[in-house]
Amino acid sequence: MSFIDSLLAGLALVGNIEAFLALGAGVAIGVIGGAIPGMSATMAVALTLPFTFAMQPITGILLLLGVYKGGIFGGSIPAILIKTPGTPASSATILDGYPMAERGEAGRALGMALWASCTADLISNLALIVFAGWLASFALNFGPPEFFTLILFSLTIIAGVSGDSLLRGALSAVLGLLLATIGLDLVYGTNRFTFGSPDMMGGLNFIAVLIGLFAIPEILAMAWNPTAHLGKTRSLGNKWVTFADYRRCFRSIVRGSMIGVFLGSIPGIGAAPSAFLSYSEARRKSKNKANFGKGEVEGVAASEAGNNGVAGATLIPLLALGVPGDVITAIIIGAFMVHGLQPGPMMFVLNVDIIYGLFIGLIVSSIFLFFIGTAAIRGFKYVADIPKRLLIPSVLVLCIYGVFAVNNNIFDVGVMFAMGWVGYFMMRYHIPAAPFLIAFILGPLLEDNFRQSMLMSGNDWMVLFRGPITWFFWTVTIITVVAIIRAGYRAARNIGANRLKG
Amino acid sequence: MTNRSVQLQLGLGACIASLFLIFVAIPGWVASPTNVRNIILSPLFWPYVLAGLTGLTGLGLLAVGWFTEEDGVPLNDAADKPHTAWLRLFGLAAIMVVTMLLLPRIGMVWTSMLAFVATAFTVRTRHPIAAVICAIVIPLVLYAFFAHVAGVAIPQGHFVRLP
Repeated sequence: MSFIDSLLAGLALVGNIEAFLALGAGVAIGVIGGAIPGMSATMAVALTLPFTFAMQPITGILLLLGVYKGGIFGGSIPAILIKTPGTPASSATILDGYPMAERGEAGRALGMALWASCTADLISNLALIVFAGWLASFALNFGPPEFFTLILFSLTIIAGVSGDSLLRGALSAVLGLLLATIGLDLVYGTNRFTFGSPDMMGGLNFIAVLIGLFAIPEILAMAWNPTAHLGKTRSLGNKWVTFADYRRCFRSIVRGSMIGVFLGSIPGIGAAPSAFLSYSEARRKSKNKANFGKGEVEGVAASEAGNNGVAGATLIPLLALGVPGDVITAIIIGAFMVHGLQPGPMMFVLNVDIIYGLFIGLIVSSIFLFFIGTAAIRGFKYVADIPKRLLIPSVLVLCIYGVFAVNNNIFDVGVMFAMGWVGYFMMRYHIPAAPFLIAFILGPLLEDNFRQSMLMSGNDWMVLFRGPITWFFWTVTIITVVAIIRAGYRAARNIGANRLKG
Repeated sequence: MTNRSVQLQLGLGACIASLFLIFVAIPGWVASPTNVRNIILSPLFWPYVLAGLTGLTGLGLLAVGWFTEEDGVPLNDAADKPHTAWLRLFGLAAIMVVTMLLLPRIGMVWTSMLAFVATAFTVRTRHPIAAVICAIVIPLVLYAFFAHVAGVAIPQGHFVRLP
């Protein structure tokens, strides 16, 4: 199928009102979800997922992608107006966004955040279109040993960057891998930790686990401290962003977008490090570097470009390799599975119309984001006024319905509640939940590819080192592990040195 | 809880979990055919590897915790009144247990209404009337969507059935 044929097939799939309505609704839900303090883009995507079950696969996935894109931008609104990032990725936006809001320039900061977000989103989507197909065609040569080493590499990165402690990230990933062993054995069909329950033979339901991990702990945290969310909202002010502002920041926006694309395409890095790196690079290169941290509009532009540049790029490993780039794409992979699709190189062969439909939808999502984001900036005060203590019980009810709807099974609701307590325990002990979920998804793939490799080679370990691709992944895995250990050691040594000085 | 105590507690917990997996859980709850010649292909292999990794991570956490100096800075924000905070947490646990018990008996819609009201009052809502209205409307709207649009067989219970 030629490029034009694929494009036309994709257009035929998404060229209908439902697909665009779903995309627009997704962006709106995402912006609102990201903007509500205490909710997050992750929770918004997780809670929207059950509503996609009744939709066509492309419509449902576009809805979720819209929520993802909208949520990342939406997180910047409370970051600027109430100094509370709606998503972790918006933490860097606070550095200059909130001082601008204090100066009465919140409208200008939010406008720049939106313009930078839309530009970065577009660049990221174009990168996805260019690189995903290329990477997928390369990955068609992968066999079980190559996939095993790739997934191992992804796990090392995820365990290393998903929190302030490498060991807690690793513990989280190991627990996720352990949970993924529940169910029937992949080769022999014998029971593993099923306790004789037929409900557990298929393993724990992925949607129940993810909603339990990401939504229920927020409800429990609310019960622990019901007044923690109360904050003061700043007014938008009279000053708005101008085209001259945008032109002045354009270089930082493009640089931040590129950083986002690069870091986003590596599984596990996520948007927050990208935003901070983009911010620090902008400060290093800016003529106004002295103003950074005091309310510099270029700082807002750079951090927003950094975190939105990731949004399209995280879909590169997802679509091309079937490896989720971050926790939101881990949820989106669940949507693919629910609709009977398996992301990975074969999808570019078997479902090329869906792939190109998604590409078209993603490009359009940047335009939707611009218009819906503009409306959301002005309407934020209404969103901020939604009583959190009514929102939380609504989330609980939504979780119950959504999780039940996956398999029509009350057992899954119980799994969700149990995972909610696990997630809350992890939150209290500062164990990042993202490695847990990603390992839970990758665990069966890792084991399956390992055992397939052993079966095809007659238990010869050397199959795991059989060619340049496996060698490449082993090398980068070792480099990553060494780098993470070194960084952890240095951080510990610095803390010790600071204490001695103090 | 300080950073050091968290590291030590997690490390100890991970080591105990690892031992429990190796000596109790895997031999007891993972079945393996007797004719598997190679341990690598056995259903037991992967759980044992992961149990070992859990233990190693636990030892790492213990070592880091042991060599970290006690800074006395609590890792989590304290609740205003810890006793009532614990009571609210127990309240939510009770709501979840009761929800599981009621779901097959009185149906999802009525259970959700009760769970909504109970949760709203557990988190001390300042809008009790709005909470009651939402408790009635939201489960009904969700029922209408999932039952009539998505075609999900929402549990109806033994008493009052919805169209």
